[in-house]
Amino acid sequence: MTPRYNFAFLDEDTKRMLRRALLKAVAIPGCQIPFGSREMPLPYGWGTGGIQVTAALLGPDDVLKVIDQGADDTTNAVNIRRFFARVAGIATTERTAEATLIQTRHRIPETPLREDQILVFQVPEPEPLRTLEARETETRTLHALADYGLMHVKLYEDIARYGRIATSYDYPVLVDGRYLTSPSPIPKFDNPKLDHSPALMLFGAGREKRIYAIPPYTRVESVAFEDHPFDVQQWDERCALCGSGESYLDEVVVDDRGTRMFVCSDTDFCSQRTEAQA
Amino acid sequence: MLAAFANPVFDSQRTFRELLQAMARPAVPRALPVLPPAPESVAPAAMAILLTLCDAATALWLQQPVGNALEHLRFHTGLRVAQTAKEADFALITAPDAMPSLQSFAQGELRYPDRSTSLIVQVQGFRNEAGVCVAGPGIRDQEMLHIEGLPADFWTQRAALAESFPLGIDMFFVAEQHVLALPRTTRLLEH
Repeated sequence: MTPRYNFAFLDEDTKRMLRRALLKAVAIPGCQIPFGSREMPLPYGWGTGGIQVTAALLGPDDVLKVIDQGADDTTNAVNIRRFFARVAGIATTERTAEATLIQTRHRIPETPLREDQILVFQVPEPEPLRTLEARETETRTLHALADYGLMHVKLYEDIARYGRIATSYDYPVLVDGRYLTSPSPIPKFDNPKLDHSPALMLFGAGREKRIYAIPPYTRVESVAFEDHPFDVQQWDERCALCGSGESYLDEVVVDDRGTRMFVCSDTDFCSQRTEAQA
Repeated sequence: MLAAFANPVFDSQRTFRELLQAMARPAVPRALPVLPPAPESVAPAAMAILLTLCDAATALWLQQPVGNALEHLRFHTGLRVAQTAKEADFALITAPDAMPSLQSFAQGELRYPDRSTSLIVQVQGFRNEAGVCVAGPGIRDQEMLHIEGLPADFWTQRAALAESFPLGIDMFFVAEQHVLALPRTTRLLEH
């Protein structure tokens, strides 16, 4: 632990500001709460929102897990885990079941979460309507009026053009029947895990300076149509390492002749299964 | 002059985690880990919440600004004092049977529903039996909830307020070492 920093890097005023925003975010599920995002020792786009939320939560007894697209061993995940080990001296883990706090970039772990765990998402664009309406003043009004026709038109245009809803990640959800919310760029495969999750889920967008939350046991519906219901990705293949047929699979090119293999994106889930089989 | 948290960084962190879980799981009491010294009119559990969340950026409204409560809070947190309940970020209710109507606090704006007053209400006690039946985000099925010492029309006021969601008021109730949250999303069920 580096003693020159306050515990978990941020100063106490900033943590209090984040904590007040987090409580409001939980009280108004799916609503984007503005917060004073600080400059962090890594650039926007590397999870500064998630890091600030984690810093506001973290205590000496926490065990932190960080994943990037499901993997514990990629650059972003390793950096953030080491950052908190240095500035907070906390324990870290790669095991989902051992963690009290999990910061994630674009996946929800395959292992079901528990009530005593908190999941923190890194969010690049918190506003699900942003690509459809550029003005913040307008999107605020649309949320105030719960006017989400724009999103339905977008999904309808997908159907008109491709015969199906083509959105496969960052698939918009309606939280507790009120706020249209971005689940962050998780694959739509993970959307069903948002619904009535036992764990609290917090979302931080550092560049956009917004925090929002999905409390546990909250109704989360993926936006769809009666005749084009929501569905998730499916694979004909199984994981080449652990043989899983129910996890989210990444397609990996393994040589320069274009040979491919499918492996679990959740490295902890995959290695636990591989170990159990060995 | 009374002390505040003995260990400000970690005491407020542990208190915050309980407040967060309380807000995420409404109507279920949680034990606060640290009870700081508090002036006579303020419950130690309420003081723990104020020390955790208040600073120079927040305005507090006191229902009964008696004794040295204000002086104590100002000294330890640097908070501002709100002249009216509507201007307050936080309001401390020390005599719940005589509390002002819920309408007199800030409910937020439709574009920014978070700009509302959070209430900290000191009550005699609460229990998860008898009383009203509540459901909503954070509650798996439903919870029974009885809070002692509230005005007779409190639940009627609360039900009326729920209709203006996303506007509303989020409340923390404290009794001895326990805190229980009632965010604006918690719905009263007919029973």
